[in-house]
Amino acid sequence: MFSYILKRILIFIPTMLIISILTFALSKLSPGDSVRIALGNQEAQGETNGSADKMAGEKAYLDMAEQLGFNLPSFYFLFSNAATPDTLYRIIKKPERDNLERLIAQYGDWPEIEQYYHNIKKVDFNLLDVKKDSTIFDQDKLIRDDAGKLLLEYKDVTIQDMLTEMDKASAASPLLTGIHQDVQNLQASYTAIKQKATPSKNLIPSIKWYGLNNQYHRWLSHFLVLDFGISYIDKRPIWSKIKEALPWTLMLNLISILLSYLIAIPIGIHSARTKGSIGEQVTTVVLFILYSLPVFWVATLLITFITTPEYGMDWFPTFGVGEVTDGMSWTDVLMVRIPHFILPVFCITYGSLAYLSRQMRGGVLSVFRQDYIRTARAKGLSEGKVVWKHALRNSLIPIITIFASLLPAAISGAFIIEIIFSLPGMGKVAYLSLQSRDYPMVFTVMMFSAFLTLLGTLISDILYAVVDPRISFDK
Amino acid sequence: MAKEKNKEEKAETLNAIVIRQFKKNKPALWSFRLLILIFLIGLSADFIANEKPYYCELNGHTYFPVFRGVGVDWGLTNWPPELSNVNWRDLNYQKVVWPLVPYSPTTLDIKNKDYVSPSAQQDVPSPRWKHYLGTDNLGRDVLSGMIHGTTVAMMVGVVSMSVALLLGLFFGSLAGYYGDNRLKMTRLTIILNVVLLPFAIFYAFSARSYTLSDALALSVWKFLFHFVLSLLIFSSIMAIPNLLDRFLKKIPYLGAQVSVPVDILVSRLIEILESIPSLLLLLSIVAIMDKPSLMMVMVIIGLTRWTGIARYLRGELLRVRSLEYVEAAQALGYPEWRIIIRHTLPNSLTSVLISVSFGIASAILTESSLSFLGIGVPPEQVTWGSMLSLARGVPQAWWIAIFPGFNIFITVTIFNLIGDGLTEALDPRLKQ
Repeated sequence: MFSYILKRILIFIPTMLIISILTFALSKLSPGDSVRIALGNQEAQGETNGSADKMAGEKAYLDMAEQLGFNLPSFYFLFSNAATPDTLYRIIKKPERDNLERLIAQYGDWPEIEQYYHNIKKVDFNLLDVKKDSTIFDQDKLIRDDAGKLLLEYKDVTIQDMLTEMDKASAASPLLTGIHQDVQNLQASYTAIKQKATPSKNLIPSIKWYGLNNQYHRWLSHFLVLDFGISYIDKRPIWSKIKEALPWTLMLNLISILLSYLIAIPIGIHSARTKGSIGEQVTTVVLFILYSLPVFWVATLLITFITTPEYGMDWFPTFGVGEVTDGMSWTDVLMVRIPHFILPVFCITYGSLAYLSRQMRGGVLSVFRQDYIRTARAKGLSEGKVVWKHALRNSLIPIITIFASLLPAAISGAFIIEIIFSLPGMGKVAYLSLQSRDYPMVFTVMMFSAFLTLLGTLISDILYAVVDPRISFDK
Repeated sequence: MAKEKNKEEKAETLNAIVIRQFKKNKPALWSFRLLILIFLIGLSADFIANEKPYYCELNGHTYFPVFRGVGVDWGLTNWPPELSNVNWRDLNYQKVVWPLVPYSPTTLDIKNKDYVSPSAQQDVPSPRWKHYLGTDNLGRDVLSGMIHGTTVAMMVGVVSMSVALLLGLFFGSLAGYYGDNRLKMTRLTIILNVVLLPFAIFYAFSARSYTLSDALALSVWKFLFHFVLSLLIFSSIMAIPNLLDRFLKKIPYLGAQVSVPVDILVSRLIEILESIPSLLLLLSIVAIMDKPSLMMVMVIIGLTRWTGIARYLRGELLRVRSLEYVEAAQALGYPEWRIIIRHTLPNSLTSVLISVSFGIASAILTESSLSFLGIGVPPEQVTWGSMLSLARGVPQAWWIAIFPGFNIFITVTIFNLIGDGLTEALDPRLKQ
């Protein structure tokens, strides 16, 4: 048995690693500029008075990116093509990097594309230092806009159009002669891209090694010491927000799982013993209906009908967990909390309760068919002893394995329930951060739920081996 | 006589037995009939509830606007200029035949907005125009929304389960048929497979990623074409080492045959996928999507649901593959793929139907909880879940709290009953 448990624990680790990689990959695919959100969404490209200001803005951006670790490569290695340089990750702004990748896919000559990229930036910067007057207002705006658009453009026709437009605009005024030179350099570098194009390089696969200094490694090692970074919304550490939310979710789930086991086992046994009677048939139908009732519908119905004075049944509070002031005795705290918890706990419990009772009934029925039960009855044991002493232990086995699937179901169920009843648990936190695109928070919650789920599976596997010693022998 | 009957029973195929047993189960049978009805409603939603008339005469011309509308939706035809962007209710018809429910799910009845109860005095010209199940905040007809929501629910079930079935059948039959010691390859073939896999992924998907994403932006069919092309590239690259296998046997050591633990690999994959809470995974995938899309949600639900089917099929095949008729087929020298597809799969399919049936129930439930939360489904799309969510915070609108949720409940229940009926029909202990 010990080796079996050890084996289960050993599987736990790689599984968790794979989930972490998946979560990390999803977080990397998420849209939006994390650095900008972390900077407080201030418009870095707003009104600037010269290249010095712009430089300061860019510097703040880069500093924040460095603080968040975005200046590092994403993973231990990169599997891509020979045309993509191994230093592309240093371009931190994702839209610009994506566009460069697209250009590489089209033309395959990175040195020229890099030169072109720098030339666009140069036009943009130098333009800021040009002394402006009203005569060149239009041209200035046009060139600045086009330079911004060029960073995100890969279609040949559009780029050509914009380049010609910029060329014309910069030639219009003597004030812009410096810029005109830059624009011509830019045009030259774009022509060079097309002349020296080697798109076939895109078809040669290559692996680039980055070593341990990468974002995933950093993220995971911070994760292991409970440093999850800061939430984008309120700049609080994620860990402190999770610390507040987790107890509510755990409590909600544990109470309802405990309740459903406590009620389901007697129901299951009773309905198996009275199989065929009217009472048993009614129980079966009721359990089946409970099992199929969508939890969010039940919650909505409960809230609509028995938490408001609309239909004269204002019996329960509608939202939240109640106000608790300092210095209240624990009985008073319970008196405030319990009414808030009755409906949510009911909603999470009834589904698993129905499922468990059905399984328990099936388990007891199949055990009743066994020879040793007949033997126990034949030797004159009382029915109670037969059921509780002989049949129970073996019919518990399927119920215990269900624990593993119950926990994730309960977590998902609690997710919706927390949102509907506005309880401050993990589900509510995840939902709010999803809506405000606070990705570090979302993916931390996801990792936590996966961890809890795996833990549930592990516990149920171990329990399984304890209840049924035969398990350890096979395989 | 008794002997003859016995013979008959022996000749009966497993599927026939299952159907016979299933028919004995009244709740399951009635669920199945109800399902057909719901399916028909889903298919003909446009013809039952529509703001356009079936038939009308207008300024001397006759039109069939409902049919024309379906044609326009499918991209087969266009509206004539005099009918594009008209308010169908206010036209001056000479003759007109309206559908059963003369409202589309998105029709805004401004006179009856802000939650008009079915029992309240409604501002409608005649009972023909009454909102029998009330309206929502924008004056949309609840009954029409429920009918059109059926289409969405059926689509969710069909699309997500097709995706899940494809993956589940593939992985389940691999793991179940081959087990841990049936698939034998030379060492070199295994090494070549591992080495070529990244290359296959590279040429089939990485190198074509822009082609694929551009095609997706254009149309689904273009995307499917390029996707199938990618799959072809992938499988032709992966076929190289496996076709070479028989020649590689001659090499010493590297050419030695070893068994591939297919079952362990697949089971571990299933275990990992199942340990991720699917609702949260769905939410985070949906969160990173650029714009909400029902199709995407359905496919993702399918991607998270195949493990159940694969697990079921695996268990079934592990049992079936040691039966005599499989051994007989092997002795006859049939190729493996033929034994899997022609001989073992048909006998395991009934059990797959069980997990499909439960799977559809849970897919519909998942989609409606997502649209209830307002995540992933476009806001203008009317689904049962999105209608139900309108009831939150509006306690007086009992009709919105009750009816859409009741639909979800009924649909989920009938799929569960069918699944139950199939399980009982397959259980040998119940067979006399």
